[in-house]
Amino acid sequence: MKKWNIYTPEGVQDILFESCSQKRLLESKIRKAFILNGYKEIETPTIEFYDTFGGERGLINQESMYKFCDSKGRLLVLRPDLTVPVARVAATRLKDEVLPIKCCYIGNTFSFDELGGGRQNEFTQAGCELLGINSPEADAEVVAMAIETVKSTGIEEFQIDIGQVGFFKGLMEESGLSEDEIEEVRELIDQKNLVGVEQVMDRHKVKTPLKRIILDLPKLFGSRDILQNINSEDIGKEATKAIENIKAVLEILEDRNLAQYVSLDLGMVQSLNYYTGIVFRGFTYGVGFPILSGGRYDKLVAKFGRDCEATGFSLGINMVMMALERQKKLVKQQPEGVFITYEKNARKLASDYCRQLIESNCIAELDLMQMGTGEGKKYAALRGFRKFVCIKNDGSREEVML
Amino acid sequence: MRYITFALSKGRLTDLSIKLLEGAGIDCTELKEKSRKLILTDEKNKIRFFLAKPADVPVYVEYGAADIGIVGKDTLIEEGRDLYEVLDLGFAECKMCVAGPKELEGKMDSVSITRVATKYPEVARTYFRHKRRESVEIIKLSGSVELAPLVGLSEVIVDLVETGRTLKENGLVVLDTISEISARMVVNRVSMKMENQRITKIIEDMRKQL
Repeated sequence: MKKWNIYTPEGVQDILFESCSQKRLLESKIRKAFILNGYKEIETPTIEFYDTFGGERGLINQESMYKFCDSKGRLLVLRPDLTVPVARVAATRLKDEVLPIKCCYIGNTFSFDELGGGRQNEFTQAGCELLGINSPEADAEVVAMAIETVKSTGIEEFQIDIGQVGFFKGLMEESGLSEDEIEEVRELIDQKNLVGVEQVMDRHKVKTPLKRIILDLPKLFGSRDILQNINSEDIGKEATKAIENIKAVLEILEDRNLAQYVSLDLGMVQSLNYYTGIVFRGFTYGVGFPILSGGRYDKLVAKFGRDCEATGFSLGINMVMMALERQKKLVKQQPEGVFITYEKNARKLASDYCRQLIESNCIAELDLMQMGTGEGKKYAALRGFRKFVCIKNDGSREEVML
Repeated sequence: MRYITFALSKGRLTDLSIKLLEGAGIDCTELKEKSRKLILTDEKNKIRFFLAKPADVPVYVEYGAADIGIVGKDTLIEEGRDLYEVLDLGFAECKMCVAGPKELEGKMDSVSITRVATKYPEVARTYFRHKRRESVEIIKLSGSVELAPLVGLSEVIVDLVETGRTLKENGLVVLDTISEISARMVVNRVSMKMENQRITKIIEDMRKQL
């Protein structure tokens, strides 16, 4: 029988020393940005009932969740996402809380989705949720927060793409396509497959101006100019509302001097059953996947028993780490701290000195192996200490900068 | 300026891809020399190329190791990667089909099939699960799939059919067409956004030649 005791399961990793401290540093920068903007941190359990995510609500595919049972035989999951738990909390523990609620989290999530390209089965997400407001101000606020969060990580070149799911839903309603056909068109638009969309639309009689816009959907991304050729008479009420919503959000972002980070993509139609309004994604160089995603989900909290509009985003810490590494922006550890060795009779002096350094916030380590000067210096250099100190029997110190 | 990286499929698509790239004003001289270098460049346009096994092209592009790929639709549906499929290049046209002995012709709805041999296990699995609601045993082969029904390895096969000659010479017929296949240009989802202008121009320059 194969022994698995020395391996870790697929898709999970040990994060050691330097990369662990880089990750903690990144998390603390992000947390600081969240807190300074008035988002209060919460922590939800790592395990939740399966029913919170799956079952008839079907928010997350059942095959992508880690499942097991509690002592009463009820089905549990390792949380695949952090927005859903926030929605649960907002509808239950926080149901009498004054609105709006601004909360944030940094935590690990788990999913069996495909690995690779920086994707792991256990991954850390950091995010903000803004509950209780449905307005362009709130939409712009979370986009702005996403931009600020990315900036706080040290990534300078990035782009946030904004879409509005109401635009696609509205066009489809006007077109009179069946549910199956809508799903087919959605998939093709999501792949920016112009020819495919054309083939499906050719099978149907749809008013020419509306048809032209549906055919163009895979191309409707880029700067604000793409909105110019869209005529509200052609697209129906709901899609027009969506466009007005986008314009309002863009205006607010311009006032906040963030317009340069933002572009549009009206063909962003990836998860329609979850989002209800503005959706957005963040991209940067060096990773082939989005580093963040978010949007408005006005119906999610209601699934837990309270009507509450909401919007938010979450950022993949692992993706950001990879982007920083590829862009050569990860902060390399600098030599720091003091390694203290001592002669036989100077043990008390050495430990007093060590304590003193630690109390003054300096990293210090006592030589536990009596390595002496030669070996001790080698070890201290190897471990990345800045300074080597040897305490002599007579109380004098030999100090060497490394 | 950053390099835009192309992953091209090794094999029958290579020469056709080069022709299209040259038509779009991209310098492929280095690519056409039979050199052993793995990554070739057009310094003027800041474009890099590499050749990969067709099945690997969607992987390179999904991960962002290549920004753009040229690959057959057969590989795309088998790999099921999350990409933008921006252009049907039209060449290398053929069909993904279910084929089998003549006796089965017209009887696909009444006979139940238990074993399917194919180079495209995902395509076969999806077809039999979703379209026919059948659970079949998929036998993955690496080549000469037509052999399988002849020697009794499987009842039917799922494979690419170009002219149908191989099938005919071995007494096999097409039982159902799964999808039309041709070469496609695919783009990484992030690259499309971060290098929008340059990539859109390449797409347009290619489209003009079709």
